[in-house]
Amino acid sequence: MRSHLLPRARLSRRRLLLGSMAVPLTLLGCRRKGGTPEQQVVDLFIESDGDFLAFRPDTLTCPSGALVRLTFHHGGKFLSARHNWLLVYPGQMEAVDKDVEHTEGIISKDDSRVIAATPMCDKGGTVIAQFTAPAPGNYPFFCSTPGHGECMNGILHVTA
Amino acid sequence: MNMRCSTRIVAVLASIGFALMLAAPVVAQLKSPDDVKTALRLLVQVSNDFKRQITAKNFARVPHEYMEYTEAADALRSAIKNEPADFKAKVETRLKAAVAAAQKVSDMSAKEADADKLMAEHTKAVTAMNAVFDLFPAALRPDPNTPPPGRGGRRGSV
Repeated sequence: MRSHLLPRARLSRRRLLLGSMAVPLTLLGCRRKGGTPEQQVVDLFIESDGDFLAFRPDTLTCPSGALVRLTFHHGGKFLSARHNWLLVYPGQMEAVDKDVEHTEGIISKDDSRVIAATPMCDKGGTVIAQFTAPAPGNYPFFCSTPGHGECMNGILHVTA
Repeated sequence: MNMRCSTRIVAVLASIGFALMLAAPVVAQLKSPDDVKTALRLLVQVSNDFKRQITAKNFARVPHEYMEYTEAADALRSAIKNEPADFKAKVETRLKAAVAAAQKVSDMSAKEADADKLMAEHTKAVTAMNAVFDLFPAALRPDPNTPPPGRGGRRGSV
């Protein structure tokens, strides 16, 4: 009974090995045949200046069309103020900031003025936003917690 | 005449020197001057947030600012925890008065829709806060005229 089962077990191991190699190779081949250039991925990091109402750094740069993975860290230790990172189209910051005054800073991601936003973040926490960098230009970002945007804001430079 | 004049100059210089001698050890003696500086800046920041919410007539946010004010006060307590007991007692007395004044603004915001009246009460709270600052060396006190951090000036341009 035992000797009858051993060759079958070996065979299935070989098949398993070949099979496991075939899947990634097939995927790799498919990707190359497709011919479309891969989207550049850019990782950006930004944090609050401790408990103070400021971003550090307050200027970010990325190329247009890149897939941006932005990580925001709330560096506060004492105050329970929540922060986020909200990217809007040029000239829209003040209007959006005013609109969120009575909604605890929450804005729909479907709002046409918003390019990207992280969720609200408590002190010590980290949140992420992922988006495709828009056309070249300078885009304002800010914290949409009511009253924070006036001080806590910055610029995303999108290069060609 | 010259003798009298030079005596006066020496006396003035001596008194300035004496004043500096008295002030310098206070800074040197503070165990955590950086933490104190941070806590005092936080008190000013939250106090300014109070003002912003009142000016914008966003009264519902004022109690939240009061909560943050108590947290900034706790940050100051933590920053001076290793200081002599008599100094801590002095700070605590004035800090309690400042927090009570801020609470009054917060309580008023629930009933009062008159921004001017709230601002008048806030001004009293600022006076109480400045009394706390007076206990610390000038080098550690935040300048109330300093513009807030961030890039506020860019708002209109982009």
